Amino acid sequence: MFDRDLWAEIFHSIKKNKLRTFLTGFSVAWGIFILVLLLASVAGMKNGFTSQFKDDASNSIFINPAVTTMPYDGFEAGRRIKFTNDDLTYIEGNFKDDVEYITPRYRKSTIAKYKKETGNYPIRAVAPDHQYIEKTKIIGGRFLNENDVTKKLKVAIIGRKIVEDLFDEEDPLGKTLQMNNSTFTIVGVFTDDGNDREERYIYVPVSTMQRLYSNTDQINQILLTYNPTYTYAQALDFSDMLETLLKRRHRVHPDDQGAIYINNNAEGFSDVSNFTTMLSFISIGVGLLILLAGIVGIGNILVFIIKERTKEIGIRKALGAKPSQVINLVILESVFITTISGVGGMLFAMGLIGAVGGMIDTPAFSNPSVETSTVLIALVILIVSGILAGLIPAIKAANVKPIVALNAD
Amino acid sequence: MIQIQQLHKSYPIGKDKLHVLKGIDLHIKEGEFVSIMGSSGSGKSTLLNIVGLLDGHDGGTYTLNGQVIENLNEKKAAVLRNKFLGFVFQSFNLISYKTALENVALPLYYKGVPRKERLEIALEYLDKVGLKDWAKHLPNELSGGQKQRVAIARALVTKPKVVLADEPTGALDSTTTHSVMELLKEINDEGMTVFVITHEEEVAAQTKRIVRLKDGVIISDTATANAKKK
Repeated sequence: MFDRDLWAEIFHSIKKNKLRTFLTGFSVAWGIFILVLLLASVAGMKNGFTSQFKDDASNSIFINPAVTTMPYDGFEAGRRIKFTNDDLTYIEGNFKDDVEYITPRYRKSTIAKYKKETGNYPIRAVAPDHQYIEKTKIIGGRFLNENDVTKKLKVAIIGRKIVEDLFDEEDPLGKTLQMNNSTFTIVGVFTDDGNDREERYIYVPVSTMQRLYSNTDQINQILLTYNPTYTYAQALDFSDMLETLLKRRHRVHPDDQGAIYINNNAEGFSDVSNFTTMLSFISIGVGLLILLAGIVGIGNILVFIIKERTKEIGIRKALGAKPSQVINLVILESVFITTISGVGGMLFAMGLIGAVGGMIDTPAFSNPSVETSTVLIALVILIVSGILAGLIPAIKAANVKPIVALNAD
Repeated sequence: MIQIQQLHKSYPIGKDKLHVLKGIDLHIKEGEFVSIMGSSGSGKSTLLNIVGLLDGHDGGTYTLNGQVIENLNEKKAAVLRNKFLGFVFQSFNLISYKTALENVALPLYYKGVPRKERLEIALEYLDKVGLKDWAKHLPNELSGGQKQRVAIARALVTKPKVVLADEPTGALDSTTTHSVMELLKEINDEGMTVFVITHEEEVAAQTKRIVRLKDGVIISDTATANAKKK
């Protein structure tokens, strides 16, 4: 394969058929160019869709108590279901393997006051796990910890927007905030990928808040993330199971769709994931078909070259060239043309994506890119297609009878 | 060296068969200088093709250098050609984009000789045919006689048992014809078996044995004056 004479001959043949080689090479380059571009576009769409869900962990499940719609077990319809700390403990205790992070949410709102500045903000009283479920990013200080919760400390983590609203140029960390007649110390500042509203929350320990509100044990919502190794199917099974058990616990009719509302991110996520996977397949299919046109082109040019070189091949055979050596020559030429032009097309596509891709960031389409694995697969496809393209002409060449060397002219 | 008995060959033409060789018996010993004469259609080219392992035969036996030739596949035929036979063609059949030196070295490439070594050997043979100074020239920069001498060097470079020449002077004028025949004689004098096909009496006259072919059978087989001279 690394034979100087062999390569010399391949180069000679290419040089002799420059235009034809270029045109067919171009069709292969074009095919791979489109394939890479299509794959990058699908990646871009995927990124776009995924970023829509990025605000919360993709494996999160939100459980909301609501109002019963069916009478059951002696209760009338229209009963409000209330979650308490016990529900949380129950889930924690029974689904140790299924749950990754879990937190209650107890919601209130407050007038927060710092010096002369005031504002009305929603409070989320939560557990430390909340940070991972909501993907809250701490930009100063810290988030809640277990100590805050067990000791029911009056500490608060505030959003970036609140800092802008109340603190002007001051560093809020360590400052105190007046909220509904209590004084909370600010221990952290966060930001969130969601939106401005997300950055106007105040996080406090759930235990502290419950004590301030007459020692209630009520919670408004349970948030959890399921075991990240789960498939979508497993995740859906798990949330179904949760629903069944919570309904039983709260004496809700098993068919009551309204009393406990479970929002499983997996559902939406699996739809998007199916959609983009489908798109990937379609684009690979289309790209390969275009590539096929290029391969047929290469095969075509090689058949012509063989025809032109019939006499030369006859001479070589008369001088002792084995059929395998002739086949090698033709196939190597084919692989060479496909690989070089294919890599050219690929680099061009990647260059284009690299130059333009970063600028594109819309909700539905962001940061189109190709993975290294895609590139490697494309390369393998190129080499294989080069061999395929060379196969028919090579067999044709191998069947050239040496007599033609004598009879030609 | 070459032993042919009752050799038959026919080509299908539509439903019919064209019987080209009708029982040839020919025995060529090592070191002979034989010419096959005949008009076109006499079967002389077919005979050369079969002797040169470029074509198979239908009946009879053909033994080359003690080896019975039958049912050869392309690969075996290629190896035997490379090992035992050197070809000189009427139209030279040099590869146009290779220099004289590379053309001569080509059979050695198929023999598997390393590049440096085969270029050395090729140069040696070019020197032998008097074209050492033309080694770097492409075929279209050479005259007809020079091309044929390059082709002869190429035929000799693998040290074959037999050199097969198909109308080696067919495309040459009388002066160059003479020099090419002189070269073939020299080669023969060194002990090489040379097998020439021609339709020119003067060319045949310079060989040592003339076999005349007509309609697929041998009509005469005579030694020439050259043979007795030696």
